[in-house]
Amino acid sequence: MSGYARPSSLDEALSLLDGDGAAPLGGGTDLAGQLDRGITSPTLLVDLRDAGLGAIEERDGGLRIGATVTLAELAASPLVAGYAAVGAAASLAASPLLRNVGTVAGNLCQHTRCWYYRGAEWHCWLGGGDTCFAQVGDHRKHGLQPGDCISAHPSDLAPALAVSGATVETRSGRGTRELPLLELYRRPSADNRSLLTLEPGELVVAVLLPPPPDASAYERLGERAAFSFPLVAIAAARRGDEVRLVAGGVANVPCELDPSDPLAGLPGNPQSAWKRSALATLAERALHRVQHR
Amino acid sequence: MRPRLVKSQREMEGRFEDVWVLVDEDDDLETWAEGAELDVVGKPATRDDGLLRTSGAARYTVDIALPGMLHAQVLRAPVARCRVTGLDLEAARATPGVRAVLGPDGPFTMRGDAVLTAEPGWAGAPIAAVAADTPEAAAAGIAALSPELEALAPLELEAGLEEQRFTEEPRETVRGDPDGALDGAEVKVELTCETPAHVQTPLEPHAAVARWDGDSLTAWVSTQGMFDARRELAGRFGLGNEQVRVISEYIGGGFGAKQGAGVEALLAAELARAAGRPVHLALGRHEEQLVGGRRAWTRQTVTIGARRDGTLVGIEVAAVVAMGAAGWIFPVGEPALSLYACPNVRAMIFPVKTSLRAQNAFRAPGVVEGVTVLEQAMDELALALEMDPLELRRTNHIELDQGSGLPYSSKRLLACYDRAAELAGWAERDGLREASSDRLLRGMGCATQIWWGGGGPPAHATVRLDAQARALVTTGIQDIGTGTLTSARIVAAEELGLPLDRVVARGGDTAPNLYGPVAGGSMTTPAVMPAVRSAAGSVRRTLLSLAADVLEIAAADLTISGGRIRSRDGGLDVDVIEVTGKLGNATIDGSGARGPNPEGFRVNTFGCQIAQVAVDPGTGVVTVERVVAVHDVGRIVNPLAASSQAEGGVIQGIGYALCEELLTDPTTGIPVNGHLDDYKVPTIADVPEIVVDFVDVPDANLPNLGSKGLGEPPIVPTAAAIANAFAHATGRRAGALPLTPARVLEALA
Repeated sequence: MSGYARPSSLDEALSLLDGDGAAPLGGGTDLAGQLDRGITSPTLLVDLRDAGLGAIEERDGGLRIGATVTLAELAASPLVAGYAAVGAAASLAASPLLRNVGTVAGNLCQHTRCWYYRGAEWHCWLGGGDTCFAQVGDHRKHGLQPGDCISAHPSDLAPALAVSGATVETRSGRGTRELPLLELYRRPSADNRSLLTLEPGELVVAVLLPPPPDASAYERLGERAAFSFPLVAIAAARRGDEVRLVAGGVANVPCELDPSDPLAGLPGNPQSAWKRSALATLAERALHRVQHR
Repeated sequence: MRPRLVKSQREMEGRFEDVWVLVDEDDDLETWAEGAELDVVGKPATRDDGLLRTSGAARYTVDIALPGMLHAQVLRAPVARCRVTGLDLEAARATPGVRAVLGPDGPFTMRGDAVLTAEPGWAGAPIAAVAADTPEAAAAGIAALSPELEALAPLELEAGLEEQRFTEEPRETVRGDPDGALDGAEVKVELTCETPAHVQTPLEPHAAVARWDGDSLTAWVSTQGMFDARRELAGRFGLGNEQVRVISEYIGGGFGAKQGAGVEALLAAELARAAGRPVHLALGRHEEQLVGGRRAWTRQTVTIGARRDGTLVGIEVAAVVAMGAAGWIFPVGEPALSLYACPNVRAMIFPVKTSLRAQNAFRAPGVVEGVTVLEQAMDELALALEMDPLELRRTNHIELDQGSGLPYSSKRLLACYDRAAELAGWAERDGLREASSDRLLRGMGCATQIWWGGGGPPAHATVRLDAQARALVTTGIQDIGTGTLTSARIVAAEELGLPLDRVVARGGDTAPNLYGPVAGGSMTTPAVMPAVRSAAGSVRRTLLSLAADVLEIAAADLTISGGRIRSRDGGLDVDVIEVTGKLGNATIDGSGARGPNPEGFRVNTFGCQIAQVAVDPGTGVVTVERVVAVHDVGRIVNPLAASSQAEGGVIQGIGYALCEELLTDPTTGIPVNGHLDDYKVPTIADVPEIVVDFVDVPDANLPNLGSKGLGEPPIVPTAAAIANAFAHATGRRAGALPLTPARVLEALA
């Protein structure tokens, strides 16, 4: 059983999170599932609802999106109108009920949906074990990038925010950092299986967006018409002549793709070959949408 | 009443059994004729419990909370096959709050199989059970069991087929000379397709609460068969029927998965007996998806031979079924044997033993699987013959059951084809394939439905009419969400001549000892409603006789309808209360029984569905745009409930066709997606326009009502119609369902 605290300031939250076994609680939509399946067992849940991280503000022509802004708030905010990819990603993730509680930072920091990682029956490499069961088992939904772990990153928001030029503001007892959104992620290594570059006790407090791109678009493929993690997620954005493409669902972290060769570095394998076709289609559609407006 | 015992035949999902039936010689109600003017039957009525269910007020088994109630949890095998070599039952008993512990060495069997086992053959198999003051204490007790396991290799399907590792002897049914017919066929097609393991996924998981009062047991059970549960509990604990009361008032779906007492009620009752306190045992969602059951995975190869004019000459189906540990072999070959006229048929079923829970019933078990592949092969034949797929089906229509040689009691399938074609715009279907601006490939496909669903005896009911002219119908119905209790009100109100709001119906409790059959085999309506009408008819006869006393007009000159008694000459028109009001505290009671099925007939249901799909060739997404469902199930009692039932079947069929499949890890033999986040049932966003219609002509050969069951028919042809629409749209077939983006892109590559 975990303890629970609901601090009324960010500083208080950070000091609680500095202790061993403390975990931040946003909407809890991912954390509850992890607790249920024993993936994490924090001793203290630090509820961030009252920590003052719930606002979307205009700043320097761009936006500062608080960590606990919900996906529903983000999708409905008129301030997001210029960021088409972000608005689409926020409104297509999960279901209305989950979007009402799930938060921006929670969506960025959620764990993979790989069923071997999530299933209590397996102790997989990413969870600290020896074997990536996906590579010897059923991996038609997994990533295309070879490695020790072939899980697929499930976030809708990460590709959309990254392609829009977002940075992430973090806080900890040691101070404040700002890093490009994709640098929030790291590929796991034998001695550090984490997919995030956050230090212990370090918290994502906001996502910062520069002024809107000239055009952006988000395309996703789900397993059904709604309420599905993306099998492939693609965001494209254009500023002047510069076009960027960022994908989710194809590697264990969100990754930047070369718009002229989106499949580069993503060889896949026979089980996931279909995913390369879907990725190529969605990349083409997303690029088409940003290049023709 | 003049009771007699007569011999009849009972049918459940195609299995026939001779039974003695108690009938009343005085019960001479004729079936309401086609076109008969009825006041209540055939009019849409909202179900009694709709608001209770949707508002959360309905109390399901999982919601039962009793004073002093304990919470049970089950230790389950974490691997596909193992031997339990150590289990610390004493440590579990010593855990604070734990009140009872059961291990695998107990006397516990159900239908001959051990309920708790030290040699689990599938992931999730129950090993031990604990009841404790709180769920947390029960979990601590489970943890204290610290099982030591010797893991064994899972039983793999293809190796099992190779080694002929079957749960029982493979089945072969042969009619005529299929080899000769196929060899000499002018046109021949062969098609192989895999169908997925499909999990029932009821909203309410399997659950039971047991309470002992001395030697009497009350069990709340989320079950489709409360009388089966009573029999099993009475047998297990050596009790008389009157000592066991099973309550199944609200059930959150079953779809075949909830039979009898189940492991849950047996464990809850035993734990409650051991602890001397009531026990609550409900599966968690992961447990439900893992151990609740499933429609088995199959791989079927269908070969069809025909003459150039489309007349079928031979069919062969070879079906490999991944049974799991055991289970009934469902009639996967039945569609090949009976859907179309064909003199030469061979149907083979190879039931391979694998390391999953035994397959169990899931809405039209076997026939869904069989139709899903046979009907795709029929479309391939139509393609080879350059013939319209519906025309091919009409060409091979047959009026009798070829297995028994008996005529069908009624069959209006041709009318279903015509109506479905009209509603779907079938004649223009090739126009769908013209290029569209949205890049999507469109197509339309059809499939035929066959199922049983004639019900049969025994089923009993009583009707009690009181002074206020309100009638209470008591039945053995357990309403699993289909609205059958509302149908019982409708039938009683019609026969009694009362408005619907003066009739209430009860079920979900074995205490009145009024037997109703399991809510399975599409039999509740055809089995129970005739008994309800029979009971209401008895009350009506008495009421008319009493009215004759009060009104001084011969009973034969009186009629009742709409709550009013009228003389045939029009001279008298009074409220029924004018008569019943004289009863004081007395009531008019009637009982009724389901009469025997007609001899010399087979009773089946039929239908046709047509689906229109749009395929995105770039992403592999298949969207069902429209489904037309036209079924012949005899007389429709409640058109609103019937439409709901058809829509539910179609939606579940869409899941089977597009997104639902329980996947098993090839190396460990454990299902990988036994959770709702990765086992995808359709959402409302996946639901297309569903157009439902019924032939709605009573089956004159069925006793007193002419209605057949509708629980199962609507799911039967949906996946086949979608797969055929996909093939029409793309010119390709996937070798396996469901048509996920992965399979579609692989098929289109």
